[in-house]
Amino acid sequence: MEQVKKTSGGERLYKVFIYVALITLAVLILVPVAWVFMASIKENSEFYANPWALPAGFHFQNFVEAWTEARMGDYMLSSVLVTALALAILLVVALPAAYALSRFHFRGRRFFSTCFMAGLFINVNYIVVPIFLMLVDGDKFLRGIFGRGFLLNNIVVLALVYASTALPFTIYLLSGYFSTLPHAYEEAAYIDGAGYGRTMVKIIFPMAKPSIITIILFNFLSFWNEYIIAMTLLTDPNGTRTLPVGLMNLTQAQQSAAQYGRLYAGLVLVMLPTLLLYVCVQKKLTQGMTLGGLKG
Amino acid sequence: MKKFLALSMAAVMAASLLAGCGGSGSGSGSSAVSSGSAGGGAAQTIKVAAIETAYGSDMWKEVAAAFEAETGIHVELTTDKNLEDVIGPAMKAGNYPDVVHLATGREDALTETFIKDNALLDITDVLSMTVPGESAKVSDKIAGGFTETSLTNPYGDGKTYLAPMFYSPCGLFYNAGLFEEKGWSVPTTWDEMWELGDKAAEEGISLFTYPTTGYFDAFFYALMYSVGGAEFFDKATHYEEGIWDTPEAQTCFDIVAKLASYTEPTTPAQANDQDFTKNQQLVLDNKALFMPNGTWIVGEMAKAPRADGFKWGMTALPAVEDGGDGYSYTWFEQAWIPAGAANPDAAKQFIAFLYSDVACEIFASAKNADGEPTPAIQPVLNIADKLEGDNQLFYSIYDNGAKAAMGNFAATDAIEGLDIRTVWFDPVNSLVAGTMTEQQWIDGVKDASDQLRGALK
Amino acid sequence: MEKGKGRKRFLFFCVAPAVLLFTVFMVIPSLNVFRMSLFRRSAYSPTEEFVGLENFTKLFGDANFIRSIQNTILLIVVVTIVTFGFALVFAGILTREKIKGQNFFRVIFYVPNILSVVVISAIFSAIYDTNNGILNSLLSLFSPEKVAILWKGEGMVMTSLIIAMVWQAIGYYMVMYMASMSSVPESVYESANLDGAGRVTQFFRITLPLIWTNIRTTLTFFIISTINMAFLFVKAMTNGNPNGASEVALSYMYKQAYTNSSYGYGMAIGALVFLFSFALSAVVNKVTERDALEF
Repeated sequence: MEQVKKTSGGERLYKVFIYVALITLAVLILVPVAWVFMASIKENSEFYANPWALPAGFHFQNFVEAWTEARMGDYMLSSVLVTALALAILLVVALPAAYALSRFHFRGRRFFSTCFMAGLFINVNYIVVPIFLMLVDGDKFLRGIFGRGFLLNNIVVLALVYASTALPFTIYLLSGYFSTLPHAYEEAAYIDGAGYGRTMVKIIFPMAKPSIITIILFNFLSFWNEYIIAMTLLTDPNGTRTLPVGLMNLTQAQQSAAQYGRLYAGLVLVMLPTLLLYVCVQKKLTQGMTLGGLKG
Repeated sequence: MKKFLALSMAAVMAASLLAGCGGSGSGSGSSAVSSGSAGGGAAQTIKVAAIETAYGSDMWKEVAAAFEAETGIHVELTTDKNLEDVIGPAMKAGNYPDVVHLATGREDALTETFIKDNALLDITDVLSMTVPGESAKVSDKIAGGFTETSLTNPYGDGKTYLAPMFYSPCGLFYNAGLFEEKGWSVPTTWDEMWELGDKAAEEGISLFTYPTTGYFDAFFYALMYSVGGAEFFDKATHYEEGIWDTPEAQTCFDIVAKLASYTEPTTPAQANDQDFTKNQQLVLDNKALFMPNGTWIVGEMAKAPRADGFKWGMTALPAVEDGGDGYSYTWFEQAWIPAGAANPDAAKQFIAFLYSDVACEIFASAKNADGEPTPAIQPVLNIADKLEGDNQLFYSIYDNGAKAAMGNFAATDAIEGLDIRTVWFDPVNSLVAGTMTEQQWIDGVKDASDQLRGALK
Repeated sequence: MEKGKGRKRFLFFCVAPAVLLFTVFMVIPSLNVFRMSLFRRSAYSPTEEFVGLENFTKLFGDANFIRSIQNTILLIVVVTIVTFGFALVFAGILTREKIKGQNFFRVIFYVPNILSVVVISAIFSAIYDTNNGILNSLLSLFSPEKVAILWKGEGMVMTSLIIAMVWQAIGYYMVMYMASMSSVPESVYESANLDGAGRVTQFFRITLPLIWTNIRTTLTFFIISTINMAFLFVKAMTNGNPNGASEVALSYMYKQAYTNSSYGYGMAIGALVFLFSFALSAVVNKVTERDALEF
């Protein structure tokens, strides 16, 4: 498929150099990840030997222990629920907002756009404490009225917080895409008698599909991997947690028997869904980006 | 054991138990529950949160069941390895467990936070309560000295806020097998220690390592006792003016600084929560001779490979001079009741029950997740006699001449940007790496001590 | 347009939910960070004491805080430059050159970005282990004696963090740059080819100027995300050890608020870091201002 022209020596050397660089980086990335998969089926005692040694056998027990005793199975379910819900909320809220802000001129538009832009600077990790306190106060208030609060330990609220904190980035990305579209699309739709809402949902959103897929993927990853907010808002000791929080517990347990096998099995359980999803959609992701989603 | 008690008495002030108060009667029947406050409903329920450490969590389930059978009070039990992460946020939300079992000196310092915030319930009256199901009073069962330390009476006002739990002598752990093989004897003074260090260095073995700098608290407390006795310890832990300029303090600093130069060089790089077992492994692999640790180490490293002929040994800190006293710090955990607990009376009964023969028996036969025995030893009279194997050796350390060191730094209000571990112990990492001088460390301690004095409770 | 009222209603329903969520979960908490920084407050007792700017004045005398800020700045600068350089070059190679397995490389390079920081930290713990680590045992192959570099020791810990963070970030920025590079029309390069411009010249004269807007945006991303990621990495990998050598601003904030029960002090750190990131982004934005080139 490639037409290799007559290339000079320098050209060939350059090609070799490029391949060496590319392959080196690929190896640097693949080997540690592959190593975790290998380690996850090792027995505990093997971790004290040469790290490059192949597993002595297939010690599947690690996964069973991680799934049941370390409750990774439960955590997996809540991670799935929270992530899916947060994505749904985010899309429903962010898409119309981005559309309105990027394609209509109205009073306050600049103000709101600037606000959302400024939101890009707000680091979730230091507003998590005020968010938590706000929910605590909310719960106290609700307890006064209904006898019980339901804001904390509620994966719906966690999903809401996830969606809200992802708004600036998502609106920013989508607006960037929407503003590149020619106005002719809407004008044609209006002439055909379609209303604003109909035009937005039927004409514009389908065109934005690649961008939407991009933001779904990005936000899926950030929601799935997040641990600081999850740790803070899901407070019920016997209740649920998300996978990364459960994993943190596995890595830092002191004074209890060191269980490396179970730890690496837990790592695999956290990585696997993202890797699988990524392998399936990576094409759509890059497509979405090249189609102008990030042209700024 | 007797010796231990006598010695530990020396370490603390005279006992002055506040008798009286409304100690609830013993609940020998099932419905004899004390006047519950916010319980609501027929069967009262208390929430108990306990840290899961090397001892495993099964013993807590058994004790909770035994308590339920004894008193009819239902126990809702939470155990977790990172208990702070689990109950901390809920408590900030005003949802308190009735009983918390959690040691001081942990990285998250949750217990210390409660002490600083005056958020603990006074449980002095528990000592005069009758142990549920028995006729003895709690104070008759707890071994002497344990309820008079700053760890149980943090404000120094004679009132007990934290109940002493599982004790464990801390000391220097080593491979006794290696010492036999080489014909070395365990040093009894620091001078012998340095000699041994030089000898070991010739064989490519470092004298010392430590899991994390957090393990220096027990080490440093025992060191202060062995250098200056109880009086020096009390003054130092109350940040008395000029105390760190005394020759005693200088000796403490000098010993740690010298020890740093004998420390296995990879130690600081692994002295964190993720890699600390690798430092412990150094002793198992004969790469380092001694490490400060507690008796849980046997269970913790049970699955780890080790040098041929490895045998656990434990010794007190060597004496400063010939004929001086060697000290071993008695580490113990605490159970306490948050001031915001909904069922304080039932919670007090539960704490009293923790010292019953039934509970002590359950704790002492604890096993960890791998099925290794990891006895949790309650600080009650005559318990060490029942132990076997390594643990009998460990718990008899005080019978073999070592003195017991107890207590800790006095509680203060929170000071922004300053905590004990960062100032006193974390610099050891830098001393070993050679990036900090002993004088810089001392200056930091003095400065912090001045600030803490002003914030004493 | 005649449907003025319908338009208004439409716009309201489009924007209002987003504004509401944004206000409740981002604006108000952010304002609260600043408010709390003026108080002394501990984690479990509800009392608050107004102390004015005392928390801030204390911060400037706090050597640990200053070190954590230095470490943060070091990370922002080095991680940005290294990641930026690698990402640009690899993006250029993958878009401009005819490479076998081009798609394969793009897919692989992005992998670290989809992993949780908790996972990456655990992976790097295995890599950085002194005696049994992947890295030291690999280096030992090329060295006559056993390599025992203390990757998490005081001297190397920041380098180790930088490596882990760059490892994580390259793919993300590379894909970003690839997206904008591939939208540069081929015709521009063709005419440059005719003029005899080499690869390097084309890269600097055509590619960089044409994706400049995108580069400026990513520089802002770099600042914000490095502050954020540094915290996540430190929390999961070293917790500031040894002896505070790897402490960064937000991990110190976290320690002060949660471990040292100095809540207002922690929020003061948060407020300061927030202002700092904002100011730095503004400066970078200003400095990199160029006339936009169109193609």
